Amino acid sequence: MVEIIKSVVCPICGCLCDDLEVTVENNEIVKMKNGCAVCEAKMVHGYKSEERILEPHIRKDGKLVPVSMDEAIYKAAQILTDAKYPLLFGWTSSASETQHVGVELAEELGCALDNCCSVCHGPSVMAIQEIGIPTATLGQIRHRADLLVYWACDPWSAHPRHVERYTAFTDGRFEKSEFKEYVQKLKGKASQKKVEAAIRRTQVRYQPSPRPQAAVVEAPPQSLARDGRKMVVFDVRKTMTAEVADYFVQVEPNSDYEIFGAMRCLVNDQELDVDKVGGVPVDYLKEVVDVMVNANFGAIFFGLGLTQSVGRFRNIEIAIAMTRDLNRKTKFVISPMRGHFNVTGANTVFAWQTGYPFALDFSQGYPQYNPGEFTANDLLRRGDNDATLVISADPGAHFPKKSIQNMMKHPLITINPDWNAISRLGDVVFPAQWCGIEQAGTAYRMDSIAISLKKVVEAPKGVPPDEEIIRRILEEVRVIKTQKNKKEEEKGQGQQNLEKKM
Amino acid sequence: MTEILIKNGFVIDPLNKIDCQKMDIAIKDGRIVEKVNERDAKIIDASGLTVMAGGVDLHSHIAGSEVNLGRMLRPDDHVKDAVRKTTLTRSGTGYSIPSTYVTGYRYSKMGYTTVMNPSMAAMKAKHAHEELNDIPLIDKAAFTLLGDWWFALETIAKGDLEECARHIAWMIRATRSYAIKIVNPGGLESWGFGRNVHSLDDEVPNFALTPRDIVTGLAKVNTMLNMPHTIHLHTNNLGVPGNYKTTIETMQALESVYKGDNKPVGHITHIQFGSFAGDNWAHFKSGAAEIANYLNSHNHMTIDIGQVTFADTTTMTADGPFEFSLYELGGHNKWVNSDVETESSGGIIPFHFKKKNAVNAIQWSIGLELSLLIKDPWKVAMTTDHPNGGPFYHYPRVFAWLYSRKAREATLKKCNKKAQRKSLLPTIDREYTLYEIAIITRAGNAKTLGLKNKGHLGIGAEADVAIYNINPETTDIAQDYKPARKAFSNATYTIKDGEIVVKDKELVAIRPGRTMWLDVQTKEPLRIDEELKRKFKQYWTIEFDNYPVTDHYIKVPEKITIQASV
Amino acid sequence: MITITPKRIFDVPIQATCINADVFTGKTLEEIKKLPITEGKENLILDEAFNISEDTAVETPNITLIGDFSKVKRIGQGMKTGEIIINGNVGMHTGEKLAGGKIIVNGNSDGWTGSEMKKGIIEIHGDAGDYTASPFRGTCTGMKGGLITVDGNVGSNVGCYLQGGTIKIKGSAGRFLGHRMTDGTIYVEKDCASRAGPFMTGGKIIITGAVELLMPTFTIDSIKPKVKVDANLTVQGPFYVFLGDIAERGTGKIFALKATNPALVSYEKYL
Repeated sequence: MVEIIKSVVCPICGCLCDDLEVTVENNEIVKMKNGCAVCEAKMVHGYKSEERILEPHIRKDGKLVPVSMDEAIYKAAQILTDAKYPLLFGWTSSASETQHVGVELAEELGCALDNCCSVCHGPSVMAIQEIGIPTATLGQIRHRADLLVYWACDPWSAHPRHVERYTAFTDGRFEKSEFKEYVQKLKGKASQKKVEAAIRRTQVRYQPSPRPQAAVVEAPPQSLARDGRKMVVFDVRKTMTAEVADYFVQVEPNSDYEIFGAMRCLVNDQELDVDKVGGVPVDYLKEVVDVMVNANFGAIFFGLGLTQSVGRFRNIEIAIAMTRDLNRKTKFVISPMRGHFNVTGANTVFAWQTGYPFALDFSQGYPQYNPGEFTANDLLRRGDNDATLVISADPGAHFPKKSIQNMMKHPLITINPDWNAISRLGDVVFPAQWCGIEQAGTAYRMDSIAISLKKVVEAPKGVPPDEEIIRRILEEVRVIKTQKNKKEEEKGQGQQNLEKKM
Repeated sequence: MTEILIKNGFVIDPLNKIDCQKMDIAIKDGRIVEKVNERDAKIIDASGLTVMAGGVDLHSHIAGSEVNLGRMLRPDDHVKDAVRKTTLTRSGTGYSIPSTYVTGYRYSKMGYTTVMNPSMAAMKAKHAHEELNDIPLIDKAAFTLLGDWWFALETIAKGDLEECARHIAWMIRATRSYAIKIVNPGGLESWGFGRNVHSLDDEVPNFALTPRDIVTGLAKVNTMLNMPHTIHLHTNNLGVPGNYKTTIETMQALESVYKGDNKPVGHITHIQFGSFAGDNWAHFKSGAAEIANYLNSHNHMTIDIGQVTFADTTTMTADGPFEFSLYELGGHNKWVNSDVETESSGGIIPFHFKKKNAVNAIQWSIGLELSLLIKDPWKVAMTTDHPNGGPFYHYPRVFAWLYSRKAREATLKKCNKKAQRKSLLPTIDREYTLYEIAIITRAGNAKTLGLKNKGHLGIGAEADVAIYNINPETTDIAQDYKPARKAFSNATYTIKDGEIVVKDKELVAIRPGRTMWLDVQTKEPLRIDEELKRKFKQYWTIEFDNYPVTDHYIKVPEKITIQASV
Repeated sequence: MITITPKRIFDVPIQATCINADVFTGKTLEEIKKLPITEGKENLILDEAFNISEDTAVETPNITLIGDFSKVKRIGQGMKTGEIIINGNVGMHTGEKLAGGKIIVNGNSDGWTGSEMKKGIIEIHGDAGDYTASPFRGTCTGMKGGLITVDGNVGSNVGCYLQGGTIKIKGSAGRFLGHRMTDGTIYVEKDCASRAGPFMTGGKIIITGAVELLMPTFTIDSIKPKVKVDANLTVQGPFYVFLGDIAERGTGKIFALKATNPALVSYEKYL
């Protein structure tokens, strides 16, 4: 049976493109339209992984052995209640419904709760808490922006449809697509390559032009003088996006903060005492700032190159400060390029239930917040927690060695669809459905718009949605806690009786 | 379901014209009934206590994208007010933007049972409903921001109000909403390019119409659709000195829609922020007398106050340009702007209203002046525009200022000297009676919202009851205002849908509240053809199929079907 | 004097707001032993985690802590009077919101030590962690008064939102020193990492070691022969004086010793 499902939402990155057309044959996705290469890799091929976890496992005598779901749930609940200070981490590739139960579980356990945003755009959230943010939904940018700045991010590789759906290559009400310009540019580049190849053939000793090193690769931006939508890229290397851009500024690694500072002064019409900042001549920055100030509507997108390089949230803070300054002259917005498809959802769900978006702690019976104190990596690095639950994330592949070493000193529970690095290390390993493919739910786009994920195929038999697993663990934890309380009460009463007798 | 009999309380029920009568209230199956069997019923001895219907709040930002961004923005606010988990209740945080559960608990403890979330961007409706689901103990509904929606602007500019009505009916259903909210009409669209409109007759850039067209157009549409509530209007020029003129002009513009049947056609919300006189901040003064005069001689409008309560709070509104101008005034470390494509915008700024600040103190005075100078309490609803003027759990302070001259004089004395000189309060003797307090907190609000079964204790009404420890026979609340204020901040009993949820000032049961939404049936439904879908794809970055709020997003829905006259 | 020593090595964080001279005052030893603390999620009493003894002969310091307290948080939080000595390392939030009295750490201190403090003295004879004297996330008001001295080095983001008081650092300082400070003084005797004083609008940062890289948002003002740290201390120069953060239209001052900063000579042409 062949079925074509329309308006399917892509569960990969923060773009949450919702116009996919998926062809399902015999409960298997065979074809997909409209999606990017990353999307196709997961939705047509990746989810059918042979490395799929199909049943729960528990580590017995050092080996993972399959067990019943009941046994695994009980074991997990026992680990979590026995521990003095567990950590629940992950959540960003789960639906909001799962995250919702997760907060309840963390509260019941009195433990630490963190999501992957602490290793991606958590610094953006922290910067917002310091200074606020002028931002907009992606459609607003599509309709109005005539200047797009991508700073320390490469949507061409990481958010492949961002430019095409939301910014430079899309038709808005007031601004038109620059796709044709781009095609011409590509053609030009192709012919240039042909010429180069021809020269190479005729010359015996061809010397390729050296890779540019930390400096502006192009002359001052004449390309920015034209009408229509313009795209500027700031990055430490010439990325694919930079190739497409009208102007590219190559900055020295870890010098974004200084550049933003200098640009702020320039926006405010102040003179600088230096000629060069972060490897970029101030005159070039002046040109860029002029273009920014003269735009009708500008948008800045930034990525992990800002949030995870030296300065972290301070980088974002000063980027936002610059955007604020620009708003005194024209309209400007700034927006993080969120990674996992529901990392924004994790922030959102945590915030409405507790007031705080990540880095939470419930040990005092009420929510506490402090990145640096309760963020997963900081807890693990210091060895503060004594049990870990990882859901829909793979710290095994992404965390520093020290953190994983400390994590391995204590019991580890994992909930993931496939055998990734962290699942293989688990003491209790749960299978889970692929959210957005086998399981419906809600996800929040990078501009915090809620979109319903669709279920397009049935999960393998016996593989539950992660929400169900978390819910069952929560129920089991409550049962164990009541039993414990009862025992303590009995013990307390026994002692009282004893005291009375004496 | 259990039967309950509330015995011997002083019942105040303005919608049924009952003023402090000692009588019994019987409850069965979640409704107020004639009588119950005394032997089987749970008896609540309410002698010496005041019995009112559950409170109805018609304007309080408790959920949604804007509110949540405010929550994320202010860890410094939450750390002041952490709420511990108990065996019954969830943990959370408070102060100016409490987390969802805490919001429900605090409202219920104040004896409130229905709250309207007045500002929901249509595109972010799913988010708002997800949060509303997590607010227990109160019934709620949301108003969709439609004043700057491209479809509405285009159809109004075309002069095709019937087409506009069909679009709006579709949108109300698609977002599971209860009313039409208009914020700074025309201004939000202009803000897309960083501009604003400054009068009712400024043209909205790129759309051939004016704010006046939008307001009157949507008011007419509202009548065509037979909506239970009027348009819910946040006026142009909000927060600008001298804006009382714009507010009065807006009300005058709506006179043309009024049919003279005593049925209001518009509701101006947090009118305090639109009652400023004076040319600039230095000459800032109250325009309350002018607004009150107008309202005293016209019957086509209702208002709510948006009272300032002097708190370190967080201002949030869909009025992005207003928040920007507030930011421009300086002294603010944090500023959030959040535009929503084709629909709306938004802004947030933490703001500390201080008694010693002349403008803040005058604003406080304006709110009270308005409440006291507008003679008919049925036109007035008490709000703080939570969290803009102050958090909702400061309401009892406002009650005290209204029912006790002594209370407001005590506060006025602590205010800025210039503000004291400018305040009209010393010239006003009026003190609200408990009956009037009941009107501006439940009866009048339910009537304004068109909620037939709420806000009163007549037979058939929903069994939402609040019992306060106030004895009208033995205490003079105007003289001795503090005990009553305390009683209002923590009800002795709150009954929600016939279940006791607060007993002896403590929460004893948690139940979910319902989400009310309108299914507006137009005679001819909106034609969803390829043309519309194409337009949709052009306007939004979400597919048509993925746009509407589905049943999944509302845990306990209460669908209200309305037959429109178009 | 109350002496407290850990009974065991702690593996999860302990929150002990009760270790505070104000709380101990007027309580008997037995009462002190029963004060509540948390170890992870477990609720304990002080006695379950620590050995507590009393020496009635000695009055000051009021509390002496001996051993490794690096996992114990919030010691002396909000203390108004009295003195605490910690012989060992101490955990986060020590002396947070301190309103008087004295805390001496003979070891290293962790993050947020002296956060949002109003009055009093904190002496750290080892290194101090990140966010020393900086407020809680999202809070726009920092340390208002008092004195913090650090013998070793400090981490990054020290003295953010500083509104008053003095921080003296004998070692080096990390990045973002005095971020958004509006008043008060920070004195670093050794080197200072880049990005000192961003967003500052007032107050002064004095550096007698090398400045790694000055923010471009600072402009040279003058060269001064000496600068006053506080009533008791004046440092001899000459110093380059920079004004900033000009992007914030600030008038904060960074004093960088001329002798240790030959790289800054390029600024002299603007004088």
